[in-house]
Amino acid sequence: MKRGNFIESSVAGFVRALGRVLMSEEIANRRGLLQALDPRVRLMGLFALVLAVVLAHRLTVVLTLFLAAVMLALCSSVSILLLAKRVWLVVLVFTGMIALPAIFLTPGTRVAAFAGGALPITAQGLSAAALLIARVETAVTFTTLLVLCTSWTHVLKALRWFCIPPEAITMLAMTHRYAFLLIDTASQMFESRRSRTVGHLPRAALRRMTARTAGVLLSKSIALSDEVYLAMQSRGFRGEVHILSEFHMKAWDYVGLLAFLGAGGIAVWAGR
Amino acid sequence: MHIPDGYLSPSTCATLYAGAVAGWYGAFRRLKRTLLSRVVPLISVFAAFAFVVMMFNLPLPGGTTGHAIGVTIAAIVLGPAGAILAISIALAIQALFFGDGGITTLGANCFNMAIVGSLVAYASYRLIAAGASVASRRRIAAAAIAGYLAVNASAVVAAIEFGIQPLLFRDAGGTPLYAPYSMRVALPAMMIGHLTFAGLAEAVISAGLVAYLQVADPALLQATSGSRPGWEESSEAVRVTAKGQRRLWLAVGLLMLLTPLGVLAAGKAWGEWSPAEFVVAEAQSPVTAAGVPVGTVPAGMQRLANLWTAPFPAYAPTFMKSAAFGYFLSAMFGVGLLLSLSLLVQGYLARRRGTRYST
Amino acid sequence: MALLFDLQDVGFEYDGIPALRGLSLQVTEGESLALLGANGSGKSTLLRILNALCFPSRGSVSFGGQRLAPELLHQNGFGLAFRRKVALVFQNPDVQLFNPTVFDEVAFGPLQLQWSKEQILSRVTTALELMKIEHLRDRPPYRLSSGEKKRVALASVVVLDPEVLLLDEPTSALDPRSQSQIIDLIQEWRGAAKTVITATHQLEIVEDIAGRIAVLEEGVVAATGTPAEILSNQELLLRANLVHAHRHSHGSYEHSHPHIHSHSKHEH
Repeated sequence: MKRGNFIESSVAGFVRALGRVLMSEEIANRRGLLQALDPRVRLMGLFALVLAVVLAHRLTVVLTLFLAAVMLALCSSVSILLLAKRVWLVVLVFTGMIALPAIFLTPGTRVAAFAGGALPITAQGLSAAALLIARVETAVTFTTLLVLCTSWTHVLKALRWFCIPPEAITMLAMTHRYAFLLIDTASQMFESRRSRTVGHLPRAALRRMTARTAGVLLSKSIALSDEVYLAMQSRGFRGEVHILSEFHMKAWDYVGLLAFLGAGGIAVWAGR
Repeated sequence: MHIPDGYLSPSTCATLYAGAVAGWYGAFRRLKRTLLSRVVPLISVFAAFAFVVMMFNLPLPGGTTGHAIGVTIAAIVLGPAGAILAISIALAIQALFFGDGGITTLGANCFNMAIVGSLVAYASYRLIAAGASVASRRRIAAAAIAGYLAVNASAVVAAIEFGIQPLLFRDAGGTPLYAPYSMRVALPAMMIGHLTFAGLAEAVISAGLVAYLQVADPALLQATSGSRPGWEESSEAVRVTAKGQRRLWLAVGLLMLLTPLGVLAAGKAWGEWSPAEFVVAEAQSPVTAAGVPVGTVPAGMQRLANLWTAPFPAYAPTFMKSAAFGYFLSAMFGVGLLLSLSLLVQGYLARRRGTRYST
Repeated sequence: MALLFDLQDVGFEYDGIPALRGLSLQVTEGESLALLGANGSGKSTLLRILNALCFPSRGSVSFGGQRLAPELLHQNGFGLAFRRKVALVFQNPDVQLFNPTVFDEVAFGPLQLQWSKEQILSRVTTALELMKIEHLRDRPPYRLSSGEKKRVALASVVVLDPEVLLLDEPTSALDPRSQSQIIDLIQEWRGAAKTVITATHQLEIVEDIAGRIAVLEEGVVAATGTPAEILSNQELLLRANLVHAHRHSHGSYEHSHPHIHSHSKHEH
């Protein structure tokens, strides 16, 4: 295994993560159906639809919800190509791999056979695989739409209305904010170590280097948290978290909320 | 091991959310009594660190790579309560922001990795490293073993969650509605990947980090060393009191109580049959209607049926005699048992610590 | 003018390693003081003690006649008033930018002080305009340049309208234009009779930002005086590791003398 591979893949992973952030902010600023709704309605509505996906028992209902997701994407200036590349293909491959054996392993009525009768394919197996893939695809599409069309800070503040304690929200916000700092720091450390090593590193050395980089990152993280604590105290923080609410529901927000919940309800009822 | 939406039924998700909330609540209360204001930035930054660790693809002995979670080092540095929150936060961000893991299954993922993982990691680390000095090699080994155990414990719980899906949640035609693999397939399938790659990755990173900290920053290992008070127990903090322990026990008890309710909510489509319905001709119709071959009782079902009718008296409702319910219940009791064991160890260690010095 | 800070024989250790060893210092209200010292001389620690973020293990520190101690800071009345009056700008802006957006960051202080929502909105907007970062309002901190981060950090303390500003290396790691903007800001504060205490090791900016200098050396105040007095005392500066001496040659003539490597040009 080449010395570069592991480091490169980690750094590449980091860079991808950062790239996603930037793209998400851009889409959140476009004009579209989802973007026009209050973030709380977006959150609650899309969560409700994900719940409907999981509650439905019929493939047809799940597929209808998928179509609804595609419609929402189109109305919200989200490119279908983007969704296909970033979400649908990936899910298809991974969930497909997991679901494939189910076609053969699920007990039930036999409909076909593979490898000359040695591997029977059952109707139940086909349905199960299809249902699983459809569910995962649809659910991930909804959550992706939520994240693409909502800035992270709005997602956080909207969570307030889901009875999540403010301390948890603050911690989520801070973790997110410092994750990118740590990713940056880790990338830089990798880059600098890579430029300092010559030739191929034996795997044991590579492992040690990883552990050491992780260790330095950990020490820096803890030191950072100490400093952040002082900075928070310096501005008056004493343990009580206050979050400034900035959302105002308008008429169409209520309509949107009703539409989401209604659609979800119908889907659950139809799919029971 | 991040379970996406669609693999677990709504009732399973709800049950595990309840378990997760119990764990979060317990961890929160415990931390609140030490120093909540200090805890907010510490947990956040540690969660960010865990987030980055989960992105590393670690080179492993044997030429492969694997992903670690970071739950073990979190438990070693922060203690179990802090680790539960830190890992949960990292998982929440991965689910919300990167689609890594579902939203309906966030409770399950947190339960498996953050709660079960932290408790198993902490308990094993403390047990194996007991008494050894902070700088000793035994702690490195303890971290490695604790990491391996924690990841595999999480995997076992996840496998159980998968395995009971087809048992409990099928439609009228017999199609599994969620994860389609029975225990016989799910358990080995999950465990193979974790007994080898993920478990090893976690062991490697935990051991590596402890070794690093022993040299670079041993103070961070003090909190869970059992010898001296760490940041958790500074003069401003209050140690774990009996009241806190009772609360955690309550949370575990609640969890064990709630799990059967999850089954009640599931619906009685499949698995409601007793072994008799497989063989006695008159009673076979519900079984055949579900498209399942009759004639002989599935061996596992027979064994379990006997197991579970034994402790329950004859007047227990029919559904309690079904193999599926028994399976589910035993799985959850197993988990509850694991948690109880971890808490017992913790409590014992805390009491021992308490007798050594006063504050 | 009244005595604002009074430090008597202050000692402080990090994990047993002493950072301050019996430091005494007085700061009067409205003065602008520069704490000059090399890295490791105890400047940052001193600023944190002045901001009541840590407390001396030995000696005493008083603010407005009251001795700063944890119990005093815990009292709501004194604690919140102190946090509003005395502001600290950290050297590393990432430490001070822990909120999701610039707006949230600047609003953090007022939120902790429990101002009303309207007040917060208007004061935050004013502060953003003052620091010319209105356009960065909804930007997350990881997408800011170092100059922008510094301005956000300043906005987040300025919004509280403090009376005392403690600045830890405010111009380090900044481009020249940002540096001069900071210096202008400090001069404005001096003009407004605020107390400004700046920790720095950059000799070239001291004259602009301070009326008095205290030189720190190994955890104590080695000397105090006006900029003219201190900057002309080469021996002191050399000892305090603020300048260095090394050999260099002009043609065939070799000599060594203390100097600082600052190539800022002065044009009038």
